Amino acid sequence: MMANLVLAAFIIKSAVSAQMDYAKSTLGGTVSIQADMETIRETQKSELSEGNDPREMFKSMSRPSVSVETANKIISTHTDYIRDYSYVVSASANANNLETVETKGFSGKGNNFPGMNFPDELSSDSSDASLDADITIAGFNAYAYIDGVENETITLKDGTYFDEDATDSALISYEFSELNSLKVGDEFTLKNVYSETEITLTVIGIYDTSESRADANIIYMNTSTAAKFLSASDYNDGNYSVENVKFYMLNSDNAEEFVEKINADFSELSENNLKVTVDTSEYDNISSSIESVSSFADTILIIVIIASIIIITLIVTINVKDRRYEIGVLMSLGADKKNVIGQIATELLLVGTFGFLLASVTGTALAGVLSDHILETQVASSAEQSEKNFGRPGAGVGNMPGGSSNNSRKNQASKTTDMPEMPNSPSDLLKNRNETNVELDLNAKPEDYLLLFLTGYLVIILALILPSVSIMRYQPKEILAGKE
Amino acid sequence: MSDKKNVLVVENLSYSYKNGDHEQKILDNINAEFKSGKVYAIVGESGSGKTTLLSLISALDKLQSGDIKFNNKSLKKISGQEFRLKYVNIVFQSYNLIKYMTAAENVQVASDFDGRKTDPNIYLKKVGITEDEGKRLVNKLSGGQQQRVAIARALASASPIIMADEPTGNLDEETEEKIIEIFKDLAHKENKIVIIVTHSRQVADKADKILTLRRGKLS
Ligand SMILES: Nc1ncnc2c1ncn2[C@@H]1O[C@H](COP(=O)(O)OP(=O)(O)O)[C@@H](O)[C@H]1O
Ligand SMILES: [Mg+2]
Repeated sequence: MMANLVLAAFIIKSAVSAQMDYAKSTLGGTVSIQADMETIRETQKSELSEGNDPREMFKSMSRPSVSVETANKIISTHTDYIRDYSYVVSASANANNLETVETKGFSGKGNNFPGMNFPDELSSDSSDASLDADITIAGFNAYAYIDGVENETITLKDGTYFDEDATDSALISYEFSELNSLKVGDEFTLKNVYSETEITLTVIGIYDTSESRADANIIYMNTSTAAKFLSASDYNDGNYSVENVKFYMLNSDNAEEFVEKINADFSELSENNLKVTVDTSEYDNISSSIESVSSFADTILIIVIIASIIIITLIVTINVKDRRYEIGVLMSLGADKKNVIGQIATELLLVGTFGFLLASVTGTALAGVLSDHILETQVASSAEQSEKNFGRPGAGVGNMPGGSSNNSRKNQASKTTDMPEMPNSPSDLLKNRNETNVELDLNAKPEDYLLLFLTGYLVIILALILPSVSIMRYQPKEILAGKE
Repeated sequence: MSDKKNVLVVENLSYSYKNGDHEQKILDNINAEFKSGKVYAIVGESGSGKTTLLSLISALDKLQSGDIKFNNKSLKKISGQEFRLKYVNIVFQSYNLIKYMTAAENVQVASDFDGRKTDPNIYLKKVGITEDEGKRLVNKLSGGQQQRVAIARALASASPIIMADEPTGNLDEETEEKIIEIFKDLAHKENKIVIIVTHSRQVADKADKILTLRRGKLS
């Protein structure tokens, strides 16, 4: 039992250190293109001192967006660094002759782009044309990258997912589909708010959201489709701008090197007050929860060891008391006290060894139960934290531009009942991803067993000290006389 | 066994128990010599100090004054444990068997830590305990049987000195005879020093020498 806990603690400990390395390589390796706030502030300061209107200044500033060509160029020239990437295209559309769902009114139409934590003033859609927009266009690389999907507020009610190959396919809300009697496979037309061009989309899926304040007028699609709703200048003949660009590193150790290289090689980033930085927030969250498991394991370990020493001391003392007479007899026959102690120690070590072997089998299971419990609470709290900052990086989902798109998303998908069966269900990918992120490798390593046995024997030896002292005090005559 | 003449000498041995504030002198300047190949009987009234004398000779009690020497080596120079292990084996008045062991295991136990491997049944057979009885826990045996197991344990020992405290107290006359013969064989054939404490005149008469303990004096 004690040995069980000891081994469990050791397994957790060693799993933790392995997991930290793993977490570093998977989670720490997110690099994103962000606004270079320092430079922006510098510029603002100087412009303010020149007496410019701060409101005008905000309008002239752009969201941290880069051209898709730059993004793709970064990706295609650094495939030895990047495992995956994601970016979004945000736009607005005119509902044309379609009905729009009445928003529960907290945000202006066309500006509540999901996943963007920038103030409205910073929005690039600040031209007058966007005021006519009723529909928010949200372009993601694939369904799995939608924020609502990542934090599991969006579920697919009907139809299927979109990815980069799903041109002109749209994922519409259940309310929007009801209002306009749209079904999966139906076509509908939206207007580009700038050029008034009509764009026909096919309903690929219908989503449902558990978020009560969500705007039902958001239509999700892939980035290239969303780009068609941009203004001519933003579309830029196909070299449209993308936002929230994230690169997922193959190896986080290279992240800094990658960042330096990109910032040096792509001058157009700094020209637009942008820079690439390593995003460690996710790693910090996860690693802090892993660390808490580790410190929990430490605490367990110390408590268990101390408790073990006390309990085994008591057991041995009682055992020695019980065998006082036997010990007295043996001593009267010439047995050495050291022999007697050795005998008791041998018995205990034999029992201990058996116990450790038993614990080796059951300790792994116990370690799983313990760490699962801790991680559950920890991950819950870190998930709450990360909800505050949008756009959690997705590891292992998505694909490289021009690469064999479906292969990289293949996964041993465990099917969920309410999902249509798809070989590359992004939702399943997400589920697996969330699990692997925080799952410790709880298979005991040889060092764990070695540590277990060493600690176990040490505990036994420590627990033998007190009983041994009392044996050393035994006088055979007194023991035997007491029985007469 | 060895033909060597072993000798145990008791010199000016005195011993007293402290009962509260007054001292009770049990042994008063005792001198004696025990030689290998002989059976000695120590007789005396109950409470005369026979067990106390055996405890001292077997190094279970610390010497107060005087000395005990085995082959000229003082007991003070070696530990009681070593003395008991190497030189002396006692059959206790109260048997001192380990009750949760079988008879055979009790006989075996002494040879376990002096490193010899012996077949306990040889010794059990000598004292009239069958192999079946030997497999029983000792507290499932009668008082007389337990006493014989205790004697068998002493027989299994290689010690040159065998001491027995009232070894025939619980035995019928026929078994008593047998046991006395065994002790005599130990002395005469195996050249051991055999010291038997008894209040039985019959037993004492079979010994080679009778010593009487009276008012702290041995004569
Ligand atoms: N541990 C002891 N403490 C005090 N007095 C004792 C102790 N053991 C024996 N005595 C006393 O010493 C005397 C001798 O005892 P003992 O040697 O057992 O006599 P015997 O064996 O001849 O009957 C007795 O009066 C007994 O009460
Ligand atoms: Mg007595």
